[in-house]
Amino acid sequence: MFISIWLVGCVQLWGQSTGAEEIPLSTHESTQIGIGGYNLRDTYLSPSTNINYTGWVARVLNERMKMVRLADYRVSRQQLINVEFGSTRNGAGTAREYAGFIDYSLGYHYRFTPPLPGLKLLAGASARISGGFIYNTRNSNNPASGKADLDLNLSAMAIYQFKIKQLPLTLRYQAEIPFAGMLFSVHKGEPYYYLTQGNRSGLVHFSSFHNKFAMRNYFTLDIPVSRVTIRLGYLNSMYRTDVAGIQTHVLSNSFLIGFAKEFVAFSGKRLKSNAHRYRSAFY
Amino acid sequence: MKMKTMKMNRVGCFLLFLLCFSWVGCEKATEYNPSPRDNFEALWRIMDENYCFFAFKDVDWDEVHDRYSLLVKDTMNQYELFDVLGEMLAEVKDGHTNLISSFDMSRYWAWYEDYPPNFYEEIQKNYLGTDYHIAGGLEYKRLADDRIGYVYYESFSSGVGESNLDYMFLHFQDCEGLIIDVRNNGGGALTNADRIASRFLEERMLTGYIQYKNGNGHNDFSDPEPVYLSPSEYIRWLRPVVVLTNRHSYSATNDFVNTMRLLPHVTIMGDRTGGGSGLPFSSELPNGWSVRFSACPMLDVNKEHTEFGIDPDVPVSITEEDLLRGHDTILDTALEFLQAKTDSIRNEGE
Repeated sequence: MFISIWLVGCVQLWGQSTGAEEIPLSTHESTQIGIGGYNLRDTYLSPSTNINYTGWVARVLNERMKMVRLADYRVSRQQLINVEFGSTRNGAGTAREYAGFIDYSLGYHYRFTPPLPGLKLLAGASARISGGFIYNTRNSNNPASGKADLDLNLSAMAIYQFKIKQLPLTLRYQAEIPFAGMLFSVHKGEPYYYLTQGNRSGLVHFSSFHNKFAMRNYFTLDIPVSRVTIRLGYLNSMYRTDVAGIQTHVLSNSFLIGFAKEFVAFSGKRLKSNAHRYRSAFY
Repeated sequence: MKMKTMKMNRVGCFLLFLLCFSWVGCEKATEYNPSPRDNFEALWRIMDENYCFFAFKDVDWDEVHDRYSLLVKDTMNQYELFDVLGEMLAEVKDGHTNLISSFDMSRYWAWYEDYPPNFYEEIQKNYLGTDYHIAGGLEYKRLADDRIGYVYYESFSSGVGESNLDYMFLHFQDCEGLIIDVRNNGGGALTNADRIASRFLEERMLTGYIQYKNGNGHNDFSDPEPVYLSPSEYIRWLRPVVVLTNRHSYSATNDFVNTMRLLPHVTIMGDRTGGGSGLPFSSELPNGWSVRFSACPMLDVNKEHTEFGIDPDVPVSITEEDLLRGHDTILDTALEFLQAKTDSIRNEGE
């Protein structure tokens, strides 16, 4: 845990302040909303079964990317905030499960020399913190399963710019896989009431490929339309754990739509020094 | 033209690259499965791996499987299957164990149905009248010329807030003793039981232990975790108390009695409680029926089970004679007991 916090802290420090370079570094930002299919299983909520609950999931995904000074500006920083909520039911239609998750990830990618014109290849690592719940409407003393994860991920991205007729398009694919981290989990059969009695040992577990496999496949296509850039996306998210006798999976396939933009942020002292480059409604 | 073709090839290569790395989850929805055999096996397995009292109750669950397996036929309809599975669950003789479908709920209620009721609402009305107070789930009134406070709590599922309790104790501030009637209280939230019991504590104390099943074996349990209760920060009652119980005092009520009986100024009176010391969990069958079962044993301070109930300090039953007269023998005995006790305390003081 300490190593990951230190790692994240260090890269954050390195990533601050772009100095007084002539061309300001812009921030790439997009916000998308999405909807898709959800598939849940949690054997804390349905012990000794392998029943999947299926339904829909809605999400909001915000992304920011920016070049940073590291390695002579060959590194970019990516921040992702994802909020999702889903509703599912069992095959017989007699019970519902609701789930909600929120996560934030901070990643740094090294940008390789483009192998082809218009193609950018990036690889790096990210840290993600996430939390959420799965709630079953049918249950007695095991109604909800809480989730909290802290992960270190491997991350790779390919961005390809091309034209169809005269329309410039940008296609992106990103894959992210956690390789080590920590997660919270009660033990199989352990009621949350038990935690209220003071014994909270054994709740935090080291996670890696032996007990957790998660992955995100993220596709986007940017289409400029008039003065805006529309972003179409597809997010395939997998989360599978087998920890403390509890098997969980949260799977989703979501289609996303939103807007992407580039902007240059001025704040603090740079507001004054760059006063000739903007017309503010506030300052 | 050649340039355009090259560009298109590059796009094609890129898309192929994406497809290679795309890893789409292939989990499907679990279809409704009405198969009697599959549902029988699923129920048996859920109980086998999660029910917590097989060893304590000396139930041979494998033998139960073999016996009931013969009764399960592929041609049976859902009602017939429900009856067979419900009977199989009743083998563990547990009021916390139910099979729940959209058309019925199987249950084992012999823990109180086979015993004298020892509580009658019609007779209770002779004492409460119609001018009693209601605060949350509490119904309360002063009895015996205002010397004794009486509160009836029908269900630990009914909310009781700290202010409800404060106002009740305020009403009883001049009373010398208190009767807490939890007869026919089938249980509910343990938090309500703890909230009320904490009003009678002088100091933090051990009230019992809790375990959970940490494996699939019948004897796979976690170490017993001590359960403590601290005194309330609100109004507390340290004068004599009698808790009235009957066989229908079950689950969270059993836990409440388990705590209250540890207190020196509290006397348990009436019939043995119904028990129900296993915290229930839920699961489900492939046909969508829900199953509830005892999963976590709650032990007393001696690490003994109270699944089959707690004996009162003073056993009392409603007599037939009193029943005909509209008298509640248990409540009458409690009133006499408290008045005698408070008289004795007063005499000692003088």
